[in-house]
Amino acid sequence: MPQVLDRIQIGMVVNGESVTIMAPSTATLLDVLRNGLELTGTKYGCGEGECGACSVLLDGRVVNSCLVLAVECEGSKVLTIEGLESNGQLHPIQKAFVDYGAVQCGFCTPGMIMAAYALLESNPAPTEDEVKRGLEGNLCRCTGYQKIIEAILSLAVRGADDV
Amino acid sequence: MIYHRPKTIEEALSLIGRSAWPVSPLAGGTDLLPRWSAGVQDRPASIVDLKHIEDLKGVSRANGDIRIGACTSMSEIEADPLIRAAAPILAEAVGRVACPQIRNRASIGGNLCNASPAADSAIPLLLLDAEVEVATHTDSGATIRTVPIEEFFKGPGATVVAPGEIVTHLRFKPVPQGAFSAWDKFGTRPAMEIAVASVGVAVELGGGVISRARVGYGSVAPVPLRGKAAEAELLGMALSPEVINRCENAAREEIKPITDVRASQAYRRDVVAAMLRRILQRAASS
Amino acid sequence: MFEAASVATPKRRTKKDTLIGRRIPKLDAPEKATGLARYIEDLNFPRMLYGKILFADRPHARIVSIDTSAARAMRGVRAVITAADINLVPFGYGQDNTALKADKVTCIRDEVAAVAADTPEIAAEAVKRIRVTYEDLPVVASPEEAVADGAPIIHEKIADNTPFRYDYSHGDIEAGVGDSHIIVEDTYTLQRQAHCCLGTSGIIASFDADGRLTLHSLTQVPFLYKNDLARIVGVAPEKIRIIQPPIGGGFGSKLDIHPFEPICIFLAMKTSRPVKLVFTREEEFLATPTRQNAVIYMRSGARKDGTFTFRDVRMTLDNGGRTSWGATTPWIMMRSFSSLYRVPHVRQHADIIYTNNIYACAFRGYGNPQATFALESQIDQLADELGMDPLDVRLINAQKPGETTGQGMVLRTCGLKECLETSAANAGWETKRREAEASRNQQTETPNRAATVRERTKEQAGIACSHCRSMVRGVGMASFFHVGGGAKIYRSDGCGTILKLDDFGAVTVLTGSSEIGQGSETVLAQIVAEGLGLPMKNIRVINNDTELTPWDVGVHASRTTFIAGNSVLRAAREARRKLLAAAAARLKREPDQLDLSEGKVVDGATGEALESIGKIIRGLHFGSKNELIMTTDFYEPPSTAPDEDQMGDISACYAFGTHVAEVEVDLDTGVVKVIKVCATHDVGRVINRLGLEGQIEGGIVQGLGYCLSEEVKVSEGRVLNPSFTDYKLMTTWDVPEMELSFVETNDPAGPYGAKGVGESPLIPVAAAVANAVYNAAGVRIRELPLTPEKVLAHLKAASRPAE
Repeated sequence: MPQVLDRIQIGMVVNGESVTIMAPSTATLLDVLRNGLELTGTKYGCGEGECGACSVLLDGRVVNSCLVLAVECEGSKVLTIEGLESNGQLHPIQKAFVDYGAVQCGFCTPGMIMAAYALLESNPAPTEDEVKRGLEGNLCRCTGYQKIIEAILSLAVRGADDV
Repeated sequence: MIYHRPKTIEEALSLIGRSAWPVSPLAGGTDLLPRWSAGVQDRPASIVDLKHIEDLKGVSRANGDIRIGACTSMSEIEADPLIRAAAPILAEAVGRVACPQIRNRASIGGNLCNASPAADSAIPLLLLDAEVEVATHTDSGATIRTVPIEEFFKGPGATVVAPGEIVTHLRFKPVPQGAFSAWDKFGTRPAMEIAVASVGVAVELGGGVISRARVGYGSVAPVPLRGKAAEAELLGMALSPEVINRCENAAREEIKPITDVRASQAYRRDVVAAMLRRILQRAASS
Repeated sequence: MFEAASVATPKRRTKKDTLIGRRIPKLDAPEKATGLARYIEDLNFPRMLYGKILFADRPHARIVSIDTSAARAMRGVRAVITAADINLVPFGYGQDNTALKADKVTCIRDEVAAVAADTPEIAAEAVKRIRVTYEDLPVVASPEEAVADGAPIIHEKIADNTPFRYDYSHGDIEAGVGDSHIIVEDTYTLQRQAHCCLGTSGIIASFDADGRLTLHSLTQVPFLYKNDLARIVGVAPEKIRIIQPPIGGGFGSKLDIHPFEPICIFLAMKTSRPVKLVFTREEEFLATPTRQNAVIYMRSGARKDGTFTFRDVRMTLDNGGRTSWGATTPWIMMRSFSSLYRVPHVRQHADIIYTNNIYACAFRGYGNPQATFALESQIDQLADELGMDPLDVRLINAQKPGETTGQGMVLRTCGLKECLETSAANAGWETKRREAEASRNQQTETPNRAATVRERTKEQAGIACSHCRSMVRGVGMASFFHVGGGAKIYRSDGCGTILKLDDFGAVTVLTGSSEIGQGSETVLAQIVAEGLGLPMKNIRVINNDTELTPWDVGVHASRTTFIAGNSVLRAAREARRKLLAAAAARLKREPDQLDLSEGKVVDGATGEALESIGKIIRGLHFGSKNELIMTTDFYEPPSTAPDEDQMGDISACYAFGTHVAEVEVDLDTGVVKVIKVCATHDVGRVINRLGLEGQIEGGIVQGLGYCLSEEVKVSEGRVLNPSFTDYKLMTTWDVPEMELSFVETNDPAGPYGAKGVGESPLIPVAAAVANAVYNAAGVRIRELPLTPEKVLAHLKAASRPAE
């Protein structure tokens, strides 16, 4: 096997900003976000795609950043929890999570919010089952999910028929 | 690891075929990455990322067949109008893979090449008599061979794909109008579940009796299994309670489940029988 | 403008605009929802090293030798330690644990060596290069094996492998037996449950130039922890500072000192650099303790009218290879046996038995979920024998306010009867139970089940199976009894507060109690805001630094709202007295003519705003007396430590509640789907409705996991499912409809009448569901979890014709 200097330069757009970083070829997107870019809002929960705590949007789709190699993201757009707030204002999903009591220990919260963001982007008026499906890959040990589901349903755009 | 990002199938094949070191094609990575990080599988010296090869992505029609690029994600297949019309059980099955995060990454080619007996996409493809296109590097570029899905799996984690080859496409005929097909998967919870067992059935009727029958089982044999004994009970028959009973018994006999941390052998038999019975009852009433 | 004009006239605070009972968003929620909250894994310090532990990975073995040379030789490795390099001070409830193990390992998770290195990758690689030679010893895989003749001795000092025994009794069992018309006996088996905190365990240790040790630690009990750690690592307790970053879930898991904590300190000591040690998920599953598995034999009786006569309990708890606080759970279990419903004669015997399994620690409910599963299952069995409605049996025996239980616990308030009635009414108990019974009887009369079970509509059957005829429904109930006003386990069950008002009317509350996600900081702020007539935004709570905060016993026993709440309330009342006195002097009124509301001093009668609180404080500060308003309080609840016979009024108040579960059982696959849970709790008084609902809902779903799917599977001392792939937590799809009701008994000892609720909602869930499965399908399952496979096995056994 060749011995190579095992660091690769990777360019991507993270939360709207172009970044170039050097990372080991084995590094995951999660590693690079947390250690390289100090975006620690994205959490390590299991490292094998079973808990959703590391959810981010990659080119508009929600993924587990622990299951993506950083090198695969060359030229991609990444959105993390830190990219939702703007001008000191909570994003409506963040505000709903706060107001509806969807946050307890908070460790699953960033991943939950990113999964909710992806859901609402593709389906602005989800039903309760669609919300459950959208968050089925995100584990929470504190809330029993109920308040999280309520928070997201509060944001669902309702047509005139539903009012 | 050295990372390659080919743009064409030929380029990918030449990278894989010529490498003197262990090389791994990479699609969604949702199975490979955890295996690497857990040390279950060694990291290769280089990886060839197939996701940027346009020809490997998307769903199309080709000579009356439906053709799916191997790097098409589960989410894309689930949402594809052509798939939803021509092979609804495939859409349903890939829609029940793990969770959105995984479905957005995992590819159908990767799902097949990992050759888990629990692969959710495998059973619908068995029912569809799908064919797998496998490409090899030759001096003149890429050569394609076609393998029936039933011959594709060789054992847990093993397929007919040889080193240097890649799966490029899947193709199958659309399900005819009026045909019945259904698939179900059983886990101990509704989501994020590796199937304890799965069952699929496709039947076509002609003259009041079943003219074509396909039965498939997941997680109950070393490979995704075609249910030939169950099919034989169905063929040429109407779906009476007796036929359903016989079919259920045939299924219990022909599956070869194991006991593991997820379920016992006996329970897997019960669950397959229950799912099969329910699907057939639905077929009878539809 | 006139000063008075800027003071808008607030209305006199009526009952309606009190903060108590309102829905208040959690104070730290914005920090967490934006990803700005820094958990242990997010914190880094200059020159910080990464620690990694080598675990034994074998259940029972003698350590022959350890060769660390290859690890030490690696570039980037800064320290490698084994038991030979550290103070081997025994710790843990049984004093049978050390940070690293010297001679022998007694479970797979035993810590053998550790490394500090420049990167986590180097540390992980170095650990792999440590060579340990073991001599394997016979594995004791279960309590039965441990007490069998000739069983290997696991810890030399305990020749019978039974380090602890707990006995309790009141009344006279034989008299109770004689008084019984019917007697039921059975054995109940409970599994190991993992806490599965989403944030894995971790710690950062660093020393300063004076040898002072700062720990960023996730402990739930910072002050006791500091004292114990001091002894283990040989640093004076006054030189240890504990800072708790936000904690990614606790549930009891952080009540003990875990070996990784002193190990990390030893690594920091050895390298003179900060060291961080954070577990991977697999390590979290393998090397953190669980809820203890237990086998509970219970025999109980009743008179024909349903009155309970006696309860006799013998149980065996698998202690695993080391002892943590988990070994003391029979203290709490016996309280439910003795005091959930009125029982004149009770006896309990518990054996805690060493095995070579992983060990258990505290977990939400502290033994009570296990005890309540046995107890509430058996009450349904009694009701069945009596031919009575399980609700009626419970109502007949439910305690009333003012009673003292057989174990000497005084029920100054008790809403059990209301809880039973409310949950039953919300669930449509009578109708649903009868329907289920009728349909069950119909089934047993005809051989062809599929033909007679009512065909259900698509909606009822759920998405998985829309045409099946094999779904049956039923309802079941269970209640709980738990401490609601702390638990006097130590000589003090107290909590301290320092309340500091600044000269603009903002308040800093320094409390000894910790926030572990349960929302205590919000409740405490709410109590202070209410007491001082200030808006919530003026209150800041500091609760995570032992250098600043006054002493507290810790987060356990559902005590924080009650104990810390009382302490901050008393400090707030004292501050209020001082404020009103100052205001009265300034405004030339009597203090009792004044009130505080929305940051203002107001006329007590009319509500007219007279002056801002900030101005009063500034007047005091800069005025002739030059005073500040700072108050302190140390609240010790009026409870008593139990005597040698375990008798005594251990808590200042007691919490009760009843859950009714409605389930659907798939007779073909054994799947139990919980449709609805009606939960009614005697919470004393609702303080923060939003936080309370969150606790109850979260507890219900955690309880459903315990009941339906969660189990750490262990075979021959090895864990078979150390990942979220095969350890099944509930997901969004498993959430049932939850109807919550609160009975407000206004406990005179509680802050504004409140009782603790943290652990309660998990406790009765499994029993309620198992009782509902019985009602639906006629099978009594005495073993958790109710996996589809297990349920189907019971269904099959029940449908076999009797011989």
